[in-house]
Amino acid sequence: MAENELKQIISQLDSLKANNVNEAPQLLSRAKLALLHLKALVPSEDTQPQHLALAASVLELGALNSIKLKDTDAFTRYYQQLQPFYSLSDNSQASGRQSNQSKVTGLYLLLLLSVGDYAGFHTVLEGLEQSSGKEHLEKDEFIQYPVRLEQALMEGSYDKVWGETKGERVPSEEYAVFSEVLINTIRSEIASCSERAYPSLPISNAKNLLFLDSEGAVIQFAQSRGWVAKDGRIYFPQQEEEMLAAEKNVMSSSGVVIENTLGYARKLETIV
Amino acid sequence: MADKMDIDAVNGQKEEEKVGPAPELPPERIIFNNFDLIRQAVDAFDSRFTLRALRSISTLRKSDKFVEAIVIGVRTAFPKPNMGARKVLEEMLPESATAMQNGVAATEKEKKDTGDDQQVPELWAYLGILVQVYLYDTQQYQEGADFSENFVEKIRSWNRRTLDPIGAKAYFYYSLFHENLDPKPPSKQSPVIEIRPKLLAALRSAVLRKDNDTQAAVTVLLLRNYISTADITQADLLVAQTQFPTSATNNQVCRYLYYLGRIRAIQLAYTQAHDHLESASRKSPTTGPAVGFYQQAMKLLIVVELLMGDIPERSVFRQPSLESALYPYLKLVQAVRVGDLQAFLRCVETNDAQFRKDGTYTLILRLRQNVIKTGVRMLSLSYSRISLRDICTRLHISSEESAEYITAKAIRDGVIPDSSLDHTNGHLITSSGRDAYSTTEPSEAFHARIEALLGMRDECVMAMRYPMNKHRQELSEAAKARERERELAKEIIEGEGDDGEGDEGGFEGM
Repeated sequence: MAENELKQIISQLDSLKANNVNEAPQLLSRAKLALLHLKALVPSEDTQPQHLALAASVLELGALNSIKLKDTDAFTRYYQQLQPFYSLSDNSQASGRQSNQSKVTGLYLLLLLSVGDYAGFHTVLEGLEQSSGKEHLEKDEFIQYPVRLEQALMEGSYDKVWGETKGERVPSEEYAVFSEVLINTIRSEIASCSERAYPSLPISNAKNLLFLDSEGAVIQFAQSRGWVAKDGRIYFPQQEEEMLAAEKNVMSSSGVVIENTLGYARKLETIV
Repeated sequence: MADKMDIDAVNGQKEEEKVGPAPELPPERIIFNNFDLIRQAVDAFDSRFTLRALRSISTLRKSDKFVEAIVIGVRTAFPKPNMGARKVLEEMLPESATAMQNGVAATEKEKKDTGDDQQVPELWAYLGILVQVYLYDTQQYQEGADFSENFVEKIRSWNRRTLDPIGAKAYFYYSLFHENLDPKPPSKQSPVIEIRPKLLAALRSAVLRKDNDTQAAVTVLLLRNYISTADITQADLLVAQTQFPTSATNNQVCRYLYYLGRIRAIQLAYTQAHDHLESASRKSPTTGPAVGFYQQAMKLLIVVELLMGDIPERSVFRQPSLESALYPYLKLVQAVRVGDLQAFLRCVETNDAQFRKDGTYTLILRLRQNVIKTGVRMLSLSYSRISLRDICTRLHISSEESAEYITAKAIRDGVIPDSSLDHTNGHLITSSGRDAYSTTEPSEAFHARIEALLGMRDECVMAMRYPMNKHRQELSEAAKARERERELAKEIIEGEGDDGEGDEGGFEGM
């Protein structure tokens, strides 16, 4: 009978989707309690298959809800809890749940991208490649979205990133939550690139480059980054490059050279 | 045995094999010689004899009479038929072999002395290894897996240091059997996951007992296990929490460095990966049957070099042992070097299966941005001023805006230093006026190289081995030699004095 209660809660959560997202956490805790009764929260050898399916759907709903509530810690926790279920179900026949699995995994990948954890991103992707195989992954729109984004980010074609996040190419609403974070990330990336690449820039062009809406926003942004805005142009500070050049100067590093040479002399004495 | 000698010649055995049993011996003879070697090892507590015995395994397994030889060996070491040890081993061997040898064993019995009972564990363990090899060669993976489980438990329970090299080999085959059971990795249901706790327990005991061989072997096996199911985080944690023994054999060190390089490459730490893989490829054997490892390490090394932005040298691909294996990688390098994205994608498509088999596919996919970066760098070297539209056409980039962003990013990442973009005219301006010799770069490069060579020299000195107590012998010998010299000198002087007394007297007078 705990099972029935569980199924009830799940259907309630499903119907909740559009309206009151804040009620979800309470329902989720009740669901998790029911799972504990069934010993299904953590999969072990004695949990029955249908309980596994129920547990997985509860955790997935929890994950999706935490995204809507913008609670990244909770999302990461749900994702970790889902991992044993996913590794168990590799060979089994669970069909309807597959779509949610790739959705949740895709969201996790996107989360890693938005905080800039590329190492984690690739590690997870490597695991996916190994377990599901290429053809499956390529057709999977939920996973391809973060992969495409990562490629575009690494290349530096930020306009592609902009296009992906703006338009209808976003696979589902949960992904849209990340769009804002991503846009902020690329804006700061473009800003740091522009500092090194351009001696100066007219403000209207800066507006287009930075995907900002108005010139006022451009000036605000410029001030927050410490740039100088004059005569309708933005001037980027040039000092860092000179500092770097000075470091390479031989005279200033004579201490290191002396140390190294003394080391060589000592070693030679021991060898010869 | 002429065909056996041919096999040996073709396989190009390493030079150490000549020190071991000569190739013309029948397998039973080799096994008996190894018994003696192992007994010597136990008496002298020196592992070199056990290692020599283990090296002959590769010669043994190629012989047709391998199984019969094992049975003879078992019968000889354990003459009484109802010894538990003998039963366990014989269970694994086919009926035909055991039935035939009943007569032969009786005659051998008299030759062996009763000292067998004392050294039984090592001999039993050695024969167990031979059984494992036999089972693996005949692909009886399930039986092999079951046998190995009990086998390694027994070895671990004995806790004898002389068993260490043999134990390390036993764990190797144990892991190998499980890898071949269905469902194979990289599936998450694979049996390799079940042996992880056992391997971890073995690692713990090995560290507690200061058993370097087993510790090295089991660490390497665990890493291989984790990587095969793509549990890279777990592998990383293992590396962070354990220490690899510095006195491990060269082969294990090679393997360890290779797996470490693999982990770092996946985690995007390319410089570290490059160091590890370079050491691995330097230490690995480049000829003979083990050349496959060198090929694999080189493949990974090339991909990592590409990911770092360096182009591997052409001479690497010309080595005779590498030419055919590295051919797809040669095509890849050529595409990246020119910065041609289309050629790169084509190359990846055609060699798809090969790259997946090598496990480098995902890494190669990351090369996309490298192709573009290299393309940008090539352009910046050749042109002092180039328009963004031209960059678009050259690099097959979709739009001018993308090209602008890409070049800006390239400038920031230091791919094309000292360049700037002229936004109004849409140009990329490069200035190549840096004189490298006026900076400290040459001395830094020299310093790095000198450090590496000095480190290598220190390692060699530390790795030199002298037999124990020899130095005392040397001292006494040196003292004796000096004594002898002194006596000789005295005799010479006395002899001359007798003859040339007159002259000497004359001299002294003056």
